[in-house]
Amino acid sequence: MDALGITLQQLLTQLVSFLILFFLLYKLAYGPIVGMLDSRSQKIKDSLEAAETARLEAESSAEKVEAEIASARQDGQKIVAEARDAASKFREQEQGRAREEVEAMLGRARTEIAREKDATVEEVRKEFAALAIAAAERIVEGSLDAKAHSTLIDRVLEEGLSERKN
Amino acid sequence: MGKLFSSPKLLAIAIAAVAALLISVAGGALGASFGLGFLGGPIPFISVPAERVAYLGSYPLLNSTIMFWFAGIILILFAWRATRKMSDVPTGAQNLLESIYEFFDGTADGVAGGVPKSGRRFLPLVTAIFLVVLISNWVGVLPGVGSIGRVESIEEWVHHHEEPLAAEVEEEHPDYNEDQVEALALVRLLEEAGNETFVVFDGVFVPLGQGEQARVPLNRVVSFTAADLAAIEAAVEAGEDLANFEVLKDILLDIKAGVVKNKYIFDEGGKNEKPYDNFIGQKAGLLVPFLRGASTDINTTLAIAIVAMFAVQFWGLRALGLRGYGGKFLINPIKKGPIMTFVGLLEGFGELTRMISFTFRLFGNMFAGEILLISMAFLLPLIGIIPFIGLELFVGVIQAFIFAMLTLVFGVMAVASHGDHDSHAEDH
Repeated sequence: MDALGITLQQLLTQLVSFLILFFLLYKLAYGPIVGMLDSRSQKIKDSLEAAETARLEAESSAEKVEAEIASARQDGQKIVAEARDAASKFREQEQGRAREEVEAMLGRARTEIAREKDATVEEVRKEFAALAIAAAERIVEGSLDAKAHSTLIDRVLEEGLSERKN
Repeated sequence: MGKLFSSPKLLAIAIAAVAALLISVAGGALGASFGLGFLGGPIPFISVPAERVAYLGSYPLLNSTIMFWFAGIILILFAWRATRKMSDVPTGAQNLLESIYEFFDGTADGVAGGVPKSGRRFLPLVTAIFLVVLISNWVGVLPGVGSIGRVESIEEWVHHHEEPLAAEVEEEHPDYNEDQVEALALVRLLEEAGNETFVVFDGVFVPLGQGEQARVPLNRVVSFTAADLAAIEAAVEAGEDLANFEVLKDILLDIKAGVVKNKYIFDEGGKNEKPYDNFIGQKAGLLVPFLRGASTDINTTLAIAIVAMFAVQFWGLRALGLRGYGGKFLINPIKKGPIMTFVGLLEGFGELTRMISFTFRLFGNMFAGEILLISMAFLLPLIGIIPFIGLELFVGVIQAFIFAMLTLVFGVMAVASHGDHDSHAEDH
């Protein structure tokens, strides 16, 4: 023991010195540093979790946006189709009405034409009758019974008309 | 080679290196054999116990204690600097200290079973041991440590070494007076230490380049014979008046003078033919370095080992309780057989040997390192020490790491219950 220099006094000195040093290191280094390491790892863990939730949120919101876009597109398509339907219906209606109108106008024109034609034919017949009578009067010069001859002329004209009609 | 000669700078460095080598060889121990050796000092007195450099009252202050406190102050200042303003993004001292703690935290968790924070209970002591041992080892390598000191005169040396012997004598013979005790202690010291060697120095300076040759044994400074010592002892026992006892007076005068004397009459065999003639009249003494690496004092390593092993027992007791932990060492021979009882006792004895191995591993490595540095400075001054300083720094880290890791491993072993161990063994 003596040759190695182990003395109780020196041993106690070093022992107490080491224990004081250990205590100071515990207070000055171990406490703050381990606290720091733990708080940092906790912080990293928290931020990683936050990043994960943010990522999930972003993913779900992207999905939502996509679904909304899809539904909007569907809505738009529906609206367009409806509009197209309405337009075509409207067009058909309008076309129908226009046709009817045209037909009505045509009908009206036709009856007008027919009436005018009839009136004209009547006029022309009257004129022809008068002309014929005048001509016959001129030819036979009062010898003829006007009434009997006008019947005959009527018949001739009617035959002539029916021939023209055909 | 072509590159070497084309660059004047490189050439100058090469010449300087060769010159330094030549000067070191010539000035060192090799050169001393040829009458050169102008750079070599005497080998410092390599003393296993730490030397006393001062007295604080009656408390002897050892040079290793100074360095231990110095290492502690460095460590505390560093820790204070590192943790004073901590930030989440560590830099500088904080970063360094944090990496050390983080490394040991991870290692402790790994050794203690891989669960995070399972090694936390060991961490304060393990890291403290690592840091304290590391800094103690490293400050021992600083220039000036172990090489700057003073010369302790023979008178001082005798005085210091007489003290424990005087205490012994006083215990044996409580009826002796002060003179008697002192005289008997001196006799015992001279009997023991006749061949202790001292360095001869000229005035205040140690003669350079003399190396081992500049040493004289104590009996060349203080002349006495075995018969003289016996006469003094007889006079003490007879209760004679010691103040006027001639033989003792001569010896005390020699001690006080501390000068190398011509006469050499102690060795009756006539073996000591070595000439000390050129030292006659010069003072002799011991070199006491002011500073000494703390881990080269066995008291330091023993103190840390004691703390470590007490902590191991504490961890074991706290984790397993008195019955559980004690059951590791005291095993019922009827239940488990006498062989297991013997194994348990051996394990208990192992706790003690661990402490001793802790102590001597660190002390041996660091003390050997110091001697290595001294020897290299002696053999190849100027440059011989350079690679070995690097080696010593490396050994300092390794030894600190080993001390800390073994404390951790022993702690983990202590907290593992025996049942765990058995079931573990069956698993494999």
